[in-house]
Amino acid sequence: MEKEKVEAKVKKTIAKVLEKTESEISSDSNFIFDLGADSMQSLQLIAGFEEEFDIEMDEDEALEIQSVKDAVEFIAGIVNK
Amino acid sequence: MRNLNQKEIKKLKMQNCFAENWSKIQVDEEFNVKYVNNVRFYGNIRIGKLNNTVKYSDGLEKHSMIRNADIFNCAIGDNVFISNVKSLSNYRIEDQVIIENVGQLFVEGKSIFGNGYEIEILNEGGGRELKIFDKLTAQIAYMLVLYRHDEKLVRSIEKMIDKYVENEKSEIGTIGKNSKILNTNKITNVKIGSNTIISNVTELFNGTVISNSSAPTIIGNGVIAKNFIIHSGSKIDDNVIIDGCFIGQSVKLGKQYSAENSAFFANCEGFHGEACSIFAGPYTVTHHKSTLLIAGLFSFFNAGSGTNQSNHMYKLGPLHQGIIERGSKTGSFSYMLWPSRVGAFTAVIGKHYSNFDTTDFPFSYINEVNGKSILTPAMNLLSVGTTRDSEKWPNRDKRTDSNKLDLINFELFNPYTIGKVFNGYNKLLEFVEKTDKKVSYVNHNGVKIPRLLLKTTSKYYRLAIDIFIGQSVLKKLDKINLSNFVEAKELFDEDVNFDSWFDMSGLIISTRSSEELQLKIKNNEIKNIDELSYEFNKIFNNYSKEGWKWTLGLIEKYLGIDPKNITADNLINIIEKWKKSSLKLNKMVGKDATKEFNIITKIGFGIDGDEDAKDADFEAVRGTYEGNKFVIQLKEKALEIEEIAEKIMGLIG
Repeated sequence: MEKEKVEAKVKKTIAKVLEKTESEISSDSNFIFDLGADSMQSLQLIAGFEEEFDIEMDEDEALEIQSVKDAVEFIAGIVNK
Repeated sequence: MRNLNQKEIKKLKMQNCFAENWSKIQVDEEFNVKYVNNVRFYGNIRIGKLNNTVKYSDGLEKHSMIRNADIFNCAIGDNVFISNVKSLSNYRIEDQVIIENVGQLFVEGKSIFGNGYEIEILNEGGGRELKIFDKLTAQIAYMLVLYRHDEKLVRSIEKMIDKYVENEKSEIGTIGKNSKILNTNKITNVKIGSNTIISNVTELFNGTVISNSSAPTIIGNGVIAKNFIIHSGSKIDDNVIIDGCFIGQSVKLGKQYSAENSAFFANCEGFHGEACSIFAGPYTVTHHKSTLLIAGLFSFFNAGSGTNQSNHMYKLGPLHQGIIERGSKTGSFSYMLWPSRVGAFTAVIGKHYSNFDTTDFPFSYINEVNGKSILTPAMNLLSVGTTRDSEKWPNRDKRTDSNKLDLINFELFNPYTIGKVFNGYNKLLEFVEKTDKKVSYVNHNGVKIPRLLLKTTSKYYRLAIDIFIGQSVLKKLDKINLSNFVEAKELFDEDVNFDSWFDMSGLIISTRSSEELQLKIKNNEIKNIDELSYEFNKIFNNYSKEGWKWTLGLIEKYLGIDPKNITADNLINIIEKWKKSSLKLNKMVGKDATKEFNIITKIGFGIDGDEDAKDADFEAVRGTYEGNKFVIQLKEKALEIEEIAEKIMGLIG
């Protein structure tokens, strides 16, 4: 899957979980500092990515994902394996 | 002992002493009349030697003496210092006691000294009355208060207590050896153990203070205590007001805390706030103002400032009650509507207006979103706070008494918590199966669980189960000098059970053990309180053995392995899972710890400087992530996990 497509889906998931508009989310957005996610919402984001991309993310590695960019890189790595 | 001679009586009179009847005064053979001045004696009096000094807490020494006091029916030991006591009656005062500047200190009629006094615990309206007494333990109290559905059981235990209390009743109180009672207004019907310090107290009424040289008890400034038992090593200070309270071993109450109809077991701490009809199991802690704990059962609970619960949704009297299971916390100004039950090691944040029960989802967060209670299962497993708490409790056991009354298991993962985790794990999987993907939340017992989290959080529960099984196996293997798989296999050839376990106010116990004990009590096989405590101790000492049987049951249920036919591959798989899960959890906890050092936590640091000043100020005050003691321990633990796994797998393989 192309990175652009991954990013679009990542942004769509973030918008849904954090109740934001996609225009509020940039590639550099940090979940906590820029988008105001708390730790429980961060967990929901991971779960949302897993569902959206039908993938299973390693529990501890998934917690390293802090930004849109991190998510795109991580997920692209899995779906394009 | 001998009577006073005429010369001594004459001398005493000259020293402004008076006796209702001089012949009723008996003194030690070595009694020295010189040290008795301005004292009025009434009734039977016995006085010991007055030939040595007494020592105050600050090291000051004074010669023993009795002066400026009215004394009625007292037996006074050797080398006491009694000075400026308006009225001292019906006491046996042991050696080296200091009583100075005290208004009234007396026993009136036949007193129970707080023993057998009934407190309306857990339910303000009554129905769960607890008879407090000086041998009460958290476990005996738990059975009495919580098992009201078994009248025979409750009556049998109460009968033992009544028998004990009857023997404790007396018209004479005791002030134990080396105790100091200073600058105190009024003490009525209070039995005082040795080495007690009572200083600047306003009033004590109907109680027992247990104290000894290894665990002295201190009651200090402005305290008003009525109808109480205060146990060894406790400190009650600074204007505390208690009425109808059991204070267990090494409890600290201070800073104007007030409590009624409540029991606080080992190592509880209460400052500033208020307790009303609470069962505060071991390590219940409330440190801040505006914190009201009411009609609740707690264990290892930490109440944030302004924590409050309401049980006033009743129409026929205050009948509701709440349970906050072991290790849970409430955030600042959290509110819960009783009745509710919070599962173990759960953090409750925000105000909750629904009655919920999350016992099957331990290690969770319950937070409030738009007025609804949202449960994030297993989230608290990943918290650095949970790991830190579980490690700090055993180190903070302040009990120095050689006889520790409350039985406490400290393990974070044990058959009780992991049994609950196993239930939660299965429930989450069931919800995953049954819930439509269009649904946002699953409703469960008054809370909402975000559907998205069902699968993810079940994985966290799985980590905990894998760690527990591995830990238990390793502990067992550690006890033998393992050299090959055959030796290891023998450990699995044992009875298996998978009964539920629970936290009996500190003691982790199986329902089977509890029920067996209850049966013994009801069948009169246990005759008195000492025998009952002995039986509880037996269960406590059997914890590892019974816990292992339960672990074997879990291996069977969760891993589908028959323990008796376990293979080397099975065992290696268990150790590998333990290693992988432990390292994962270790990493996630470490990740959580990084939050303590991120940009948000640095807000307000380096107050008038630039970013460099902010970092430098933060580092000076809070240190660095890499240098943090806990973080270093986590890293060391990770290495240890690898080493252990490698070693054991090598031996088995």
